Amino acid sequence: MARALSRSLRSPRVLIALGMIFCFAFCAVFAGWIAPHDPGDQNLLAILQPPAWASGGDLNYPLGTDSLGRCVLSRLIFGARTAMLVALLASLGAMIIGTILAHVSGYFGGAIDWLIGRLVDVWMSFPPVILSLILMVGLGIGLSKVILAIVLVDWTRFCRVLRSEVLIVTRHDYVAAARLLGFSHWQTIVREVLPATTPLLITLISLEMAIAVVVEAILSFIGLGVGANTPAWGQMIADARQYVYQSPWNLLLPIFAIFLTVTAFNLLGDGLRRTLDVRLAETGR
Amino acid sequence: MLALQAKDLLVSARIDGATVPAIRALSFDLPAGKILGLVGESGAGKSMVGRAIAQLLPAGFEITSGSLLFEGQDLARIGAQFDEHLARLGDGSRSARRDRAVAMLTAARLPRAVELLTQYPHQLSGGMCQRVLIALAFSSDPRLVIADEPTTALDVTMHPPILKLIADMQRAHGTAVIFITHDLRLAAQLCDQVTVMYAGRAVESGPARAVLSTPAHPYTRCLQLANPSMRAERRALYVMPDQMPSLRQLKNLSGCHFAPRCPVVTEECRRDEPPNIAVAADHHAACIRAAATRTIAAMAGDSVTTGAVGRPLLQVEALQKHYTAGGGLFAAARTIAAVKQATFSIAENEFVALVGENGSGKSTIAKMLVGLESPTAGKILLNGEDLAEPALRSRARRAASLQMVFQDPQSALNPRRRVASIVTQAMEAGSRHASWDERLARTRELLAEVGLSTDFAARLPGQLSGGQRQRINIARALCTLPKILVADEIVSGLDVSIQAQLLNLLARLRAELGFAMLFISHDLSVVRHLCSRVLVMYGGEIVEEGAVEKVFADPQHAHTRALLSSVPPDEPEAAWPPLA
Repeated sequence: MARALSRSLRSPRVLIALGMIFCFAFCAVFAGWIAPHDPGDQNLLAILQPPAWASGGDLNYPLGTDSLGRCVLSRLIFGARTAMLVALLASLGAMIIGTILAHVSGYFGGAIDWLIGRLVDVWMSFPPVILSLILMVGLGIGLSKVILAIVLVDWTRFCRVLRSEVLIVTRHDYVAAARLLGFSHWQTIVREVLPATTPLLITLISLEMAIAVVVEAILSFIGLGVGANTPAWGQMIADARQYVYQSPWNLLLPIFAIFLTVTAFNLLGDGLRRTLDVRLAETGR
Repeated sequence: MLALQAKDLLVSARIDGATVPAIRALSFDLPAGKILGLVGESGAGKSMVGRAIAQLLPAGFEITSGSLLFEGQDLARIGAQFDEHLARLGDGSRSARRDRAVAMLTAARLPRAVELLTQYPHQLSGGMCQRVLIALAFSSDPRLVIADEPTTALDVTMHPPILKLIADMQRAHGTAVIFITHDLRLAAQLCDQVTVMYAGRAVESGPARAVLSTPAHPYTRCLQLANPSMRAERRALYVMPDQMPSLRQLKNLSGCHFAPRCPVVTEECRRDEPPNIAVAADHHAACIRAAATRTIAAMAGDSVTTGAVGRPLLQVEALQKHYTAGGGLFAAARTIAAVKQATFSIAENEFVALVGENGSGKSTIAKMLVGLESPTAGKILLNGEDLAEPALRSRARRAASLQMVFQDPQSALNPRRRVASIVTQAMEAGSRHASWDERLARTRELLAEVGLSTDFAARLPGQLSGGQRQRINIARALCTLPKILVADEIVSGLDVSIQAQLLNLLARLRAELGFAMLFISHDLSVVRHLCSRVLVMYGGEIVEEGAVEKVFADPQHAHTRALLSSVPPDEPEAAWPPLA
């Protein structure tokens, strides 16, 4: 595992992705210090200003202002905080539920495996966006509700992929050997099975983070997201849509931010998959 | 006429940027209609020769010098004719092709050939699949067939009929055959010529019976002595130290590659690579000490002492295991009896063998004994206490008295744990938490027991060879000093020289630690060497039981007789009825 991780850290994909994610995370953590304005401050005398480099731009608002005269740069930076928070917590939540169920299902097999398998089947037969919309209507809006909705929709992704990996690992004689040496089921899963599924788990988390960012943007775009008082990229796109001809930058900048974040997480996931997955790493693909 | 001729063949491999000779200076003449045996342990290069002839060398390997002549033509230039020949097989009408296929399958003695044409491979047994493959190989009336370990994956009772089929087909078609095998006894029976390979070089070659009755190369002699005898008096096994150098190690070697393991080595052997020396007409050995070879004998110190057998330890009474297969919404479940009836006992310090074909229920019994499966009916008594009693169900108690050594060490060792953590894994079970110092101390003891040095403690299973992994596997099972070991085919995947090391190790450990063992195996010569009593299983039942010597000398059940007759005789000159 340690060798695989150091191999990962030499992969250019992983390094580039980690660099990008570090920038976003830095913005998210220190948003209050970096942002030039409060993201909610309105300046109705300077609405829909273009970025500083365009004609009519003002250095006071480096990326211009929106229809209420709020600083776009500040809103992007605070939006990164929302996106990162959702990405981290939602993917961790989905991972915890999905991983526990996958290990229980794959390790014990039999009726419990059947039950969890059918639950996942039924769950996955709902279109994910519709399901999260229904959940948001039921739960109400807010950051924690968005996270909860994503967790409740996406745990199945972890569960299904990990279960097949757990099945493969459990078939190894060393898992039976651990039982014979006196390990309890819990010890066997945690000390013998989980270390073998961890590389896949790490890969899945980083891919799930990308999905969480997109889902949060979609929910915020249609107004069923984190709420009007919290800056979010999806909201910025929704606002800018009405003034797209007057100030196209307002639309393009948050889209670009989403694009960069999703690319970074996908790149990380792909890089980790190539380096952590022994089967792929050894064939040199 | 010569079907195939190899002249100074050199196949090199590119490993880590360096070029390593995988096969060196290989020469042989294979006359039309004869069988040439390529014999050696895994990694000797014998399969690579087969692949070089079939032009199927893996990526990174290539023939760098020497030549392979097929009926006088260079093999590298006849690929086109080969393709043409294959294309011609598909000629003719649909019914003509069908008739031809039926004729081929019938010739391979497959019953109901017409029905077989519409079946898929997974619907056939392993033996039938092998017959189909043999039919396919001989279908185009070839002049050369390469058979690479054709019986290794099959049940022992399937070996004689498959070998007989190959021999008959070869005779009927006048085909030359290259027969690749690790089994010296088999090569002596089946082949006309043999070439013994070691670390990429042909160390000895000549007429099969001459080579194997009077081996001139120490390696051939050591291999024979490492193989337990089937009929002669039980003798100690000769143990070659260490193991064959791998491809990676080959590039740094000089002198005779067998020198580090050779009992009659001299300074000169380590310095120069030995030339091929004729020891008799048509019999060559790559050894300057060929005259000393016959003096090699197994050391007396390694002899197997069965020791005193104590009071009964484990009693198995009317054990049964039924599985339900299929069954669901639309199909009724079927019941399959894996073990119909098994009653036996094992005494303290006694090694009992359980033999039988695949699917006879051997492994199911092993799993029930250690608690990986629960019996459908019957009792397992350990020291007179029923293991199914709630008080004895605790894993810790069972773990302390009964342990299992698994068949495949690759799968049985967690690739993420280091050796020290694997062998003392029992010490982290349950709520006990041994300190790391205690575990390291125990690791040192266990490694010494199984004959490995202390620096193995920090290695990962991926850094070990097959034989070393199996030692670690045994050490782990011995950690709690169990009274009974259940060993499921623990030497079957290993080479003869490594197998001899492990068999001697088990005998020594029994003398030192004192434990009983249920030894599951399909190799009767190993069973005869190690165990004092044998149980023969057939179709889920124990059909014969008794002292090894007695059962082997006078088998009562037809299946026991079939098992015994599937092992070729020790003496190369003796006739083997199945092939006669």
